[in-house]
Amino acid sequence: MAAPVSLRICHLYPELMNIYGDRGNIITLDRRCAWRGYGVEVSSLSIGETLDPEPYDLYFMGGGQDREQILVCEDLHDEKGKALRHAVEEGAALLSICGGYQLLGSHFITYTGEELPGISLFDASTVGGEHRFIGNIAVQCSLEGAGGTLVGFENHSGRTRLGPGCRALGRVLKGFGNNGEDGMEGCVCRGAIGTYLHGSLLPKNPLLADWLILTALRRRYELEELPELDDSLEDAAHRSALRLTLGERSRWRRLAGRS
Amino acid sequence: MNIRLSTAVAAGKTATFFSRRLGLGAGSNFPGKVILRLDRKATEEMALQLEGGCVLVTGTNGKTTTSNLLAGMLRAGGGNPVHNRVGANLISGITAALAQASDGRGRPLGDMGLFEVDEATLPEAVSRLNPRLVIITNLYRDQLDRYGELETLARKIDGALAELGDEAVVLLNADDPLVASLGRDSRARRYFFGIEYEGLSEPGLRHAADSKHCRVCGAPLTFSVNFFGHMGKYSCPSCGVSRPAADYAAAEIELEGIGGSRVSVAAPAWKMDLHLGLPGLYNVQNLLAALGGARLLGLGEDDIRAGVEGYSTAFGRGERIDFGGRTIFLVLSKNPTGFNEVIRTLRGEGEGLVVIAALNDRIADGRDVSWIWDVDFEDLAPLPRFLVASGTRAEDMALRMKYAGMDTSTILVEKDPRLAVTAAADEAEEGEIIYALTTYTATLDMRRLLTRLGAAPGYWEEA
Repeated sequence: MAAPVSLRICHLYPELMNIYGDRGNIITLDRRCAWRGYGVEVSSLSIGETLDPEPYDLYFMGGGQDREQILVCEDLHDEKGKALRHAVEEGAALLSICGGYQLLGSHFITYTGEELPGISLFDASTVGGEHRFIGNIAVQCSLEGAGGTLVGFENHSGRTRLGPGCRALGRVLKGFGNNGEDGMEGCVCRGAIGTYLHGSLLPKNPLLADWLILTALRRRYELEELPELDDSLEDAAHRSALRLTLGERSRWRRLAGRS
Repeated sequence: MNIRLSTAVAAGKTATFFSRRLGLGAGSNFPGKVILRLDRKATEEMALQLEGGCVLVTGTNGKTTTSNLLAGMLRAGGGNPVHNRVGANLISGITAALAQASDGRGRPLGDMGLFEVDEATLPEAVSRLNPRLVIITNLYRDQLDRYGELETLARKIDGALAELGDEAVVLLNADDPLVASLGRDSRARRYFFGIEYEGLSEPGLRHAADSKHCRVCGAPLTFSVNFFGHMGKYSCPSCGVSRPAADYAAAEIELEGIGGSRVSVAAPAWKMDLHLGLPGLYNVQNLLAALGGARLLGLGEDDIRAGVEGYSTAFGRGERIDFGGRTIFLVLSKNPTGFNEVIRTLRGEGEGLVVIAALNDRIADGRDVSWIWDVDFEDLAPLPRFLVASGTRAEDMALRMKYAGMDTSTILVEKDPRLAVTAAADEAEEGEIIYALTTYTATLDMRRLLTRLGAAPGYWEEA
């Protein structure tokens, strides 16, 4: 009999980078594994702790406020950033949201002109803008194996532009996305995803949740696909959010988007 | 006579009349906008005529309850505060309340202004109203999509408090590290309220705790006691900042579920025991805020007691409404810490409950519903035998409960509040309580619905 399947998640800076219900992503990964009979271990890794990439299949990092982002930036700068890049090169899965996404790019220049160096896991750079992009967002996902739409909420002043070394997670159907100009949202590099979508992202986008789980587990297990789950409630929530987002008048968006 | 003001007030009164007749409910902002359009200084022109000056109550949670409690105490002391009691807490709402209480010349028929103010509106309210007392209940991460980040909000509030003169006073929550750090640069004297009693503390900080870092130096705070959210007894191991001593303190507390609590309050030179008919530890803090405010305004013990005991529940904040032989317990639950505390109160009600959880995403609720993932719904999941997820984001609510561990066969998704209430009432037995946990505008919707069905009085009919 094959060894029991288990997913080992490393939650990076959970107490600092958790601003927009990011915990929902961990809860979703945990439940969707448990419903399939897989084991799940979630470990936290924070400031000053060494990252040994060996024992983890999936990394998660949420968004944070400015002050927290600076602390994390300093902490990632040394060996930890290198170890994380190495882990992704070796096939680990990773999901980073908003502030986490920004810190994994090459650099982030804040609106006040402060430069936070990134760890260049993504070929992406971010510059702070004057107005925040706030509102519901819908994206046509271009990820192989997780096609279809993504729904969420975005709230960021950073404008991110992708370099040739990575591709976008999808095309914006409604909302702002990476920079509000080129119609792109998020970033994919191997098994690593960066995105501005919270809401939380994974509960209402179960295809993406399963893509991450499968990518992470394939490192150690021979898996073609994951057993199906009853996603009727997830799909209903996805459809409802999609309908609401696509049907929004721009008036709401302007009202909500004032800074 | 100021003709511009008189005209504006008359127009405002007319607008109020029609918005009520048309059942616009939260229309309390609309008349204020009409007035300000006609006379943009109407707010201060009316407020300056109040002999006793103005008191402002702000904070994320508890401002309505705190200001209503304080209003009750002031009335018991023979005062007649002008008060925006329906929770219309932007400048337009305050203006409408002033106009409603004014004669035709725009002279308010009251002796003091007592206004709850939206956190982000505090700077404008301070510069317009020049308050003698500002009470700040707490600051949580709430509706971030409107306000940006907590630190930004705190800086704006600091700026507003710095404008106060040395005759003004500020009453702050000592248990909230962020609130307790406010107003250091203000000339106004700072007072504090807080919980001293340690018997109801939680084992550790919850996930939803917001202000966990020292505002002065950024180091993680050490909590020796944690009450709920980021409320507790804390100190900074790095720079030595610690919780200020409370001038108005709860020395002993006994919680009695949704029935309320018994509180022994200690303040310099006096002590009193009170029964508060509002559930949860968070309402004990609201009581302390109101009581501290009353003392700072010179009220005596009898007035405070009469105010607390004669308190009728603020609109939708722990109200009990009869509906077809069932009781709907309607409690506003609008952000993670508030929700966690409501769930904590519900845990004392046993299992097999009938629950309505209504989540809206209108502007006043916050368009972003991510925060429901920061609520410990895992603690609620074992309690309901039947849960109706309702509101504009009913599916999100239902999904949260599924991932919190509820069996989906016991969850009904019903966006329409009327059908949600009917389904819950069908499931509940005669005499049973239906627990309705509702976000801000969902509370308004629910209240309006029950008013229309004749189960609850219209909010403007309340004294």
